[in-house]
Amino acid sequence: MAVSAGFRAALAGAVLVPVALSAALAGAPDGRPARIVSLNLCTDELALRLADPDRLVSVTWLSQDPRNGNLAEAARRHRANHGLVEEILPLAPDLVVAGRYTTRHAVAMLKRAGIRVVEFDIPKDLTGVKAQIVDFAAAIGEPARGRALVAQMDAELARLALSDPRAAVPRAFVLRPNGFTPGRGSLVDDVLTAAGFDNLGASLDLGAYAQVPLERVVLERADALIVDTEPDGPPSLATAVLTHPILRALSPRPRLISIPSRLWTCAGPSVVAAIARLRSAAADLQKGGRP
Amino acid sequence: MSGASRTVPERLLVPALAVAALALTAASVGIGYAPLDLTAAITDAWAGRNTPEALVLLELRLPRAILGLLVGMSLGLAGAAMQGLLRNPLAEPGIVGISGAAALGAVLVFYFGTNLTQLTLPLGGIAGAALATIVLFALAGRGAGTTTLILAGVAINAFAGSATALALNLAPNPYAALEVVFWLMGSLADRSLAHVWLAAPLMAIGWLALLAAAPGLDALTLGEDTATSLGFRLSSLRLWVITGSALAVGTAVAVTGAIGFVGLVVPHLLRRLVGSRPGALLLPSAFGGGVMVLAADIAVRTSGIRPELKLGVVTSIVGAPFLFHLIWRLRRRMT
Repeated sequence: MAVSAGFRAALAGAVLVPVALSAALAGAPDGRPARIVSLNLCTDELALRLADPDRLVSVTWLSQDPRNGNLAEAARRHRANHGLVEEILPLAPDLVVAGRYTTRHAVAMLKRAGIRVVEFDIPKDLTGVKAQIVDFAAAIGEPARGRALVAQMDAELARLALSDPRAAVPRAFVLRPNGFTPGRGSLVDDVLTAAGFDNLGASLDLGAYAQVPLERVVLERADALIVDTEPDGPPSLATAVLTHPILRALSPRPRLISIPSRLWTCAGPSVVAAIARLRSAAADLQKGGRP
Repeated sequence: MSGASRTVPERLLVPALAVAALALTAASVGIGYAPLDLTAAITDAWAGRNTPEALVLLELRLPRAILGLLVGMSLGLAGAAMQGLLRNPLAEPGIVGISGAAALGAVLVFYFGTNLTQLTLPLGGIAGAALATIVLFALAGRGAGTTTLILAGVAINAFAGSATALALNLAPNPYAALEVVFWLMGSLADRSLAHVWLAAPLMAIGWLALLAAAPGLDALTLGEDTATSLGFRLSSLRLWVITGSALAVGTAVAVTGAIGFVGLVVPHLLRRLVGSRPGALLLPSAFGGGVMVLAADIAVRTSGIRPELKLGVVTSIVGAPFLFHLIWRLRRRMT
């Protein structure tokens, strides 16, 4: 076992090193990475927003599906990868951006081949989202664009109507496929708070990301149910929970609010759009008053 | 071993099991994941008020309990009937691959279907179950030994299981690939009243077909020739059992996934109470199946293990030792 692993590593090294060297030699004269490959849906979006299109060689196939990616149109203009080393090496990247929890084998091998890999964690709140945008922009040699994007997000957030501080804060459950609900210490929790909701997933202390039984959702008498899915996606049991007849029977309270998951799956600039939608829903609920 | 040890008078057995099944249905309604004021829920539901309590009762608790009863009855009844027809105590929808094939049919319709009508889901399950039953009879029909029957079951199960996994991997929804456990192990979680309306009529037709086979199954114990001379046509008897099993098991699997061993354990336990008459075993097995599935579903909700266990986990842990016991007995009889 160890022998074969060692042998494979040696073989991989023999094949990879020359490719990596030629890539490094072909590096851009101005010091900015010229051949960027992204291995993660979320780094894809940042790369598509911040990098010059001719410097971005490849993004994941996930981003090219408009159900997942916010920039599917732009993503289709780049080569797709599936996070496999064999696809990525021939592209001779001088910078690979990846998520901290995805494509672990590819990241390890690319690092061993001497390719510069920068990994990005999942931010836990809005401050982390903005910090990550700045870090990402610095990694690809475009710090000014990063600062500009953050400033644009701040401006959009400032334009949103403030919720009425005298009215009661509406209580909401976020229901994700399979009945999961994000709790305290998750980005969604921070987004909900920023939008003027009380996240029941957090106040009931179900853990950071827990399954909440449908019974509990119904009996908790929430003001809003934020259903995190596309209404017309392909069928699965996981998403069937989100269309259970009882949720429709309950309406108008809790009110069903649909937020496409692509807006907040990634902790990117699109969370501003999620906050905007949620804030107007919260304002509506406050105007309607509580029963 | 069988006829002599009748302990419960037969006319008491069916009512006793029916009462037990209904009692467990009621108990199942009382059990859930959130404290529910049942009195308030029933009052509100009766008055037609759409309060959260009434909705939890009508849209979550009742469908779960009723489906548990119906699915258990279908599996118990189909198991007893198939064992009578094949004259083999191992002929059980799960072991011989009928449940697995029904799951494949339902999966193909559910994940790739064009949503023509809601009815396509149970029809997919029924088609899969019917196809597997026909293949089973072709491979291990008349007079085939236990070995052939089990091997045919292994083959059908292996094919259906892997084809189900393949279909789920190819399904357009990214969550589908993770849902193979539901289809192969079964669950009553978050089913709705719509599933009850969809499944109940089709299952009921299946039950009637199976119960109609009772006199023929009794006659068959005397041997095929004697049964024929008594005026029972074997081909029509087979048709009743195949149609009935396909309808009952196919529909059950389409709405709750494949729940194993119910059709094995229940007839096995009840056989000694009714003597060696497969026809008389049918109705007790139906109610016994209801009792077993409802008890398993109460167990998965009260065990405290989260995420909730699949029903097949519980029924298999209870059921597999019975299978060992049966194989042991068959072995002793053969040597």
